[in-house]
Amino acid sequence: MNSSGSPSTASSVNRLANPNRNMSNRLDLDAITDIIPSGARVLDLGCGDGLLLAKLVAERNVVARGVEISEVNVRACIGRGLSVRQGNIEEGLADYRDNAFDYVILSQTLAFLDKPEPLVRDMLRVGKQGIISFENSGAWRERLRTLSGGGAGLELCSGEPRIRSITLKQFEQFSSCLDATIEQAIYISNHHVIHKMASLRAKTAVYVLRRTTSIPS
Amino acid sequence: MIVQTQFVTFDRDLHLQNGAMLRPVTLAYETYGELNNDRSNAILVMHAQTGDAHLAGYNSPSEEKPGWWDEAVGPGKAFDTNKYFVICANVVGGCKGSTGPSDINPATGKQYGLSFPVITISDMVDAQCWLIDYLGIKQLLTVTGGSMGGMQALQWAVSYPDRVKSAIVLASTARLSAQTIALNEVARQAIYADPNWKNGDYYDSTPPNAGLAVARMIGHITYLSDSSMHEKFGRRLQERERYGYDFNTDFAVESYLRYRGNAFTRRFDANSFLYITKAMDYFDLSYGLQSLADAFEHTHAKFLVVSYTSDWLYPSWQSKELVRSLIQNGIDVTYVEIDSNYGHDAFLLEVDRLAELARDFLGRLLP
Repeated sequence: MNSSGSPSTASSVNRLANPNRNMSNRLDLDAITDIIPSGARVLDLGCGDGLLLAKLVAERNVVARGVEISEVNVRACIGRGLSVRQGNIEEGLADYRDNAFDYVILSQTLAFLDKPEPLVRDMLRVGKQGIISFENSGAWRERLRTLSGGGAGLELCSGEPRIRSITLKQFEQFSSCLDATIEQAIYISNHHVIHKMASLRAKTAVYVLRRTTSIPS
Repeated sequence: MIVQTQFVTFDRDLHLQNGAMLRPVTLAYETYGELNNDRSNAILVMHAQTGDAHLAGYNSPSEEKPGWWDEAVGPGKAFDTNKYFVICANVVGGCKGSTGPSDINPATGKQYGLSFPVITISDMVDAQCWLIDYLGIKQLLTVTGGSMGGMQALQWAVSYPDRVKSAIVLASTARLSAQTIALNEVARQAIYADPNWKNGDYYDSTPPNAGLAVARMIGHITYLSDSSMHEKFGRRLQERERYGYDFNTDFAVESYLRYRGNAFTRRFDANSFLYITKAMDYFDLSYGLQSLADAFEHTHAKFLVVSYTSDWLYPSWQSKELVRSLIQNGIDVTYVEIDSNYGHDAFLLEVDRLAELARDFLGRLLP
């Protein structure tokens, strides 16, 4: 009987219980916080242990909601005083009303989805804007690693599930096929926002999207 | 902690869902901790099918076992009685001090038996609301319970949306499933089939203990899980080395069920069992509505919903259905599915994880 629910067991069975979500040195958290205005309604999909939502509550006084697949992470969120629903975000967001949130966030989770397209579409229905962050697989270090035989993505012995590699160009093509407009793009490298040669230099990208056409009522 | 069961009798009509009236209505209840000055720290805990008002502590120094949720209620526990004023009342229709079929019908001077009106979860909650009025509490900090207790918590949030700040619903459902109604019906049939039941008119003779014991055995099977039964009993034999090839008790699991069934007849009234299972069968918050979501149209309590992976009596899909309906109404809901092998009993046994959840959830309600 596993009464304490060890984190290692939970993350090995739950693909979306992404350990990246629990790291305190995440580059995109400050960038996302900068985007969100005070008092906004925010839904974080795959919210991990609630680090980002807690930061948004503390610094932006947002109305925070989260969805997270791992019991251990959900309990950590509740420990931070957050309202989080345990569930698989890939089962959809059908229960949420149109425009129920100002922002729906998918941070460092896109690469782990089986089918990103229907979920991101639904994000842009439920939220007035969507914020998506991911690690740029086109960064020069990644390219170099691939060229030198290191391969793309995680090493086999990492124990992590298969993940998608995403470049900035791929993402921008993806958003255009979703009927979404990129309102803002923030590229981060070495803890700084960069503006030039982002597709090679950016380690992390944060995009703000909005659906191009309004929801038929 | 010594606690006395208290009683209050309301000499007025309780208007029941089936159109009938019940009068007078006595409620047995216990309280723990102190009500604060602005009366904002009250928690109402509601018991499951065969529970009672004796939630925690001991009624006397010689009592062998404490109340049914003593592990979760008390100083420093999940429902910390140093902070909260905790109330638990026996349901109407019960046999532990609140008005039920084993009480005297004032119209006849005899026990009600089957002349007791059929009650519902909503009727139970209406009676509890009288108690909360009587205690001078305008709004409950939280209403909580597991199983049938969770149904009452949900009913509170629907019937009295302004009187409930939050609800903690454990191993429960917003509407009973066909499977659970079926199990309740088999349990009732066991009682009907006992010749001592006599259409409920047995208070002057031997009660239908054989039938009630079988009903309870069915219950105990549904509270466990395949894996917890395997762990607890396996194919272990009871006080014998080899098979007996007879109809005495061979297996440990048989012995357990017989023991539990018989013990139950010493503390529970068969007619109350019938009435309470029937109340559960009728429980469907979507009854007469377009959808379950419509039931929560006026609800604004914050919710904590908890289900348990191995619970097949109130499986997680029922909690998820509830959570979906709450989300559709934009209600603030937290949902956790606790990984446990204990089956439905997990809500009583997984106290450590529940304690942590309840502390965190309640912590942000009371400054």
